[in-house]
Amino acid sequence: MSWINVCEETRLPIGTGVAAWVAGKAVAIFNLGQDGLYAIDNVDPATGVSVLARGLICEMDGELCVASPLYKQHYRLKTGVCIEDTSLIASPFDIKTEQGQVLVLAKV
Amino acid sequence: MTISKPTLVVVGNGMVGHHFIEQLCSLGLNKTYDVHVFGEEPRPAYDRVQLSKYFETGSADPLMLTSAQDYQDWGITLHLNTPITAIDIAAKTVTSAQGECYSYSRLVLATGSFPFVPPIQGNDRSQCLVYRTIEDLEAIQLAAKNSQVGVVVGGGLLGLEAANAMMQLGVKTHVVEFAPQLMPVQLNDKAGELLCSKIEQLGVSVHTSKATTAIIDGESALHRMTFKDESYLETDMIVFSAGIRPQDTLARVSNIRIGERGGIEINDDCLTSAPDVYAIGECALWQQKIFGLVAPGYQMARVAASHIASLSSNVPSLSFTGADMSTKLKLLGVDVAAIGASRGFDNAQFVELSDNQAGIYKKLWLDDSGKFLKGAVLIGDNGDYSRLLDMYLSQDEIQGSAVELLLAGAENEADLKDTSIVCSCHQVTKGDIVAAVTAGNHKMAEIKSCTRAASGCGGCAPLVQKIIDQTLQAAGLDFNAGICAHFDHDRQALYHICQVEGISDFTTLITQHGKPSANGLHYGCDICKPAAASIFASLKNQYVLNQDNGHVQLQDTNDAYLGNIQKDGTYSIVPRVAGGEITPTKLIAMGQIAQEYDLYTKITGGQRIDMFGAKLSQLPEIWKKLIDAGFETGHAYGKSLRTVKSCVGSTWCRYGVQDSVGFAIDLENRYKGLRSPHKLKFAVSGCTRECAEAQSKDIGVIATDKGWNLYVAGNGGMRPRHGDLFATDLSTDELYQYIDRILMFYVKTADKLQRTSTWMESLDGGLAYLKSVVIDDALGINAALEQQMNHIVATYQCEWKTSLEKPEFLARFNEFVNPNEAPMSDANAYQRVREQRFPNIKDAGAGTIAIKDITEQQTTADEVVA
Repeated sequence: MSWINVCEETRLPIGTGVAAWVAGKAVAIFNLGQDGLYAIDNVDPATGVSVLARGLICEMDGELCVASPLYKQHYRLKTGVCIEDTSLIASPFDIKTEQGQVLVLAKV
Repeated sequence: MTISKPTLVVVGNGMVGHHFIEQLCSLGLNKTYDVHVFGEEPRPAYDRVQLSKYFETGSADPLMLTSAQDYQDWGITLHLNTPITAIDIAAKTVTSAQGECYSYSRLVLATGSFPFVPPIQGNDRSQCLVYRTIEDLEAIQLAAKNSQVGVVVGGGLLGLEAANAMMQLGVKTHVVEFAPQLMPVQLNDKAGELLCSKIEQLGVSVHTSKATTAIIDGESALHRMTFKDESYLETDMIVFSAGIRPQDTLARVSNIRIGERGGIEINDDCLTSAPDVYAIGECALWQQKIFGLVAPGYQMARVAASHIASLSSNVPSLSFTGADMSTKLKLLGVDVAAIGASRGFDNAQFVELSDNQAGIYKKLWLDDSGKFLKGAVLIGDNGDYSRLLDMYLSQDEIQGSAVELLLAGAENEADLKDTSIVCSCHQVTKGDIVAAVTAGNHKMAEIKSCTRAASGCGGCAPLVQKIIDQTLQAAGLDFNAGICAHFDHDRQALYHICQVEGISDFTTLITQHGKPSANGLHYGCDICKPAAASIFASLKNQYVLNQDNGHVQLQDTNDAYLGNIQKDGTYSIVPRVAGGEITPTKLIAMGQIAQEYDLYTKITGGQRIDMFGAKLSQLPEIWKKLIDAGFETGHAYGKSLRTVKSCVGSTWCRYGVQDSVGFAIDLENRYKGLRSPHKLKFAVSGCTRECAEAQSKDIGVIATDKGWNLYVAGNGGMRPRHGDLFATDLSTDELYQYIDRILMFYVKTADKLQRTSTWMESLDGGLAYLKSVVIDDALGINAALEQQMNHIVATYQCEWKTSLEKPEFLARFNEFVNPNEAPMSDANAYQRVREQRFPNIKDAGAGTIAIKDITEQQTTADEVVA
């Protein structure tokens, strides 16, 4: 497992998601400014389609989530677990910034 | 030796005759009798109460109550086109017009009634018709084709139904009534007056206290009707609907006893003077009364069937004891109800409510003690009918003051039955949702998770939310009227807040008026954020992907990328083709672009072209080419005006009376870009043939020879609804003015994701109220509404053009923030079917929705390109 340099921090807009390639996998990255930086699998587990970075960011009962743009299931940004169906998980990635660069921990 | 079964003959296969057969079968008498049914019409029983539906659908099918097959299955012989002309009551036989003779051991007469045509000179001229059978409707339809003006003689219940039918055929409709008011049998004078004014608002001219003296040649039209007061009316067609008379000819010529003023006399068993002969329905006279409604006829059918059954089994015989003539109906869209002694009586006490603003009139008649309800009349609002009818029939003593009965408000009638399917993707009924809410699942997400409702295509989500709210309210549980967990306000309240306080960013809205989470997060959710974005756009009309004011973070799936996301994560592109008119040059340009990017193309229902399969990163370059070719965005992704459908109109069509295409283009160009609570669809038809299907649109315009008729709040889709006729013969300027006001009032007052059709249904006072706001300026807001619309029109922008002009806006269309690291796209994601590209996704989709199965069935192995 190694940290992969994805892009410069300034390229992440605040409040919306972007997708990035991390060791052959599409990862959805969400920059919520003072509320943190999150990364989960970009593939929507309900459909198998790579779209979660394009979802709306929501707060559901105090937890940050992204609503899938396809059928609106909510995935928790911290754990990737779906609120409506806990058997659906968009697996989370570790993410950090170092010297203005965004780094994601690859799973291979 | 075979023992032949006794024969039961039924003459008449109308609603009551058919109901009798149903009763017979449920008692098993179709096994013990050899049953023969004779009907003189060419088809088996159909619903005469809702005849005007025939014009809505253009077919008799929705009216049918049964079929020849049903009768065959029951073992009953049905003779259609077979009038019975004679009964020999001594020999117990009947003879048909074709000369065939049938013997009976029991005979039931259900011959119904015929329309009364007043004995006026000229009543047999051409295009002088009646309104009772489907054949009559066909004749009316034919006459309407070459008629500009039509008259219905008779302002009673049936007459107004006939007027409704005539209106639907696009004929300028007059109603002529002998009495000084409409519905003189059921309504008192005030109620009649209100009904009259409501009906006149719909464009029907009502003439009361008019006795027709003759029908002669007209000057401007086919006929002239002259009246006793020496006035006259010219018309191309006349429909007589001045009451019914019992069809008792057969009984009369067969020496069965007839009442002095007609009707076959029956006793409490529905037996006539002839042995073993029954009469039921409108042909029967019981205690000198004819019952011209279907419910008493059904009651007689049950009585006669039970009497026949009691002869051979221990089924108890019922008896007919009269019937309640209370009635509730919608006449030309106006609620009307009459209960008991609805016109009052001597020494009656009464309470009365007359609300001129809302167009509601209610009067309750009480006995002289004031404690018992004896009659009621309701106009404009039928909501109290069931409760009042129950009180009238039970004769329970009124608790407290009678006036409170009028102020109790409408019953909270659930719109759907428990067995109605709400979510058709997962076959979830209303009952399932109610049960889940009652079991403690109060949130939308919980309901989705445990019932799967709204987790398919999601189209039923607003309805599911309504059912959740209703159920919680009914259970007396905490009911939050707010749009979501983050706001206690509904959309209308949020709109007002944003307008009054000039708020145009979400952070201000949620911190000042909403509920950030306990841990201080103020992100809102996928319900309130798009609603807020729509409100900001309706009020200020700024670029929707603006980063500076944070609007881009609020946009829902499609708005966020100015395209319609498809199941494989690609987008579809719909350029605007105003009015459905497109030059060959632009058509070729669009074809070339679609070809270059291998986009699947399909004509949409709104007369546009949809191009599917564009990757996110391709959207800007495709749009660059489209804009260079002269196209602009079609807002197919937005809750905004989609399209104005049109027929070809007077420029080419032989029948068109106005330039519907030109006007559709102008309408589309005026209202394009308006962000609204939900999508908006318009249509313009160039003549009354209505080829553009304008009555199924939010705003429908139909040309007349004098201008335009405006229909509002129609809908196709999941819950189809015909638009309401809002105003007639408008000039182009008046039409723009009314549409400006109606749309802005909708934007201002509708709930989130509420189409105009449900908005209209939820609007207190309905169409009449909307008219008072828009036409009479009852709220004094029209100037403001028009000003706001002018602002929206003046600040229109093609969002794709704006996006392309500012490269910083385009960064978000990169699929990946680090595209150089991306592997080559997966070549196996598509298959070719019918020479076009389709996604190869097998298991994605809305649960059980069968789109993928359809393509699989239609694809043979050699068509699939690996």
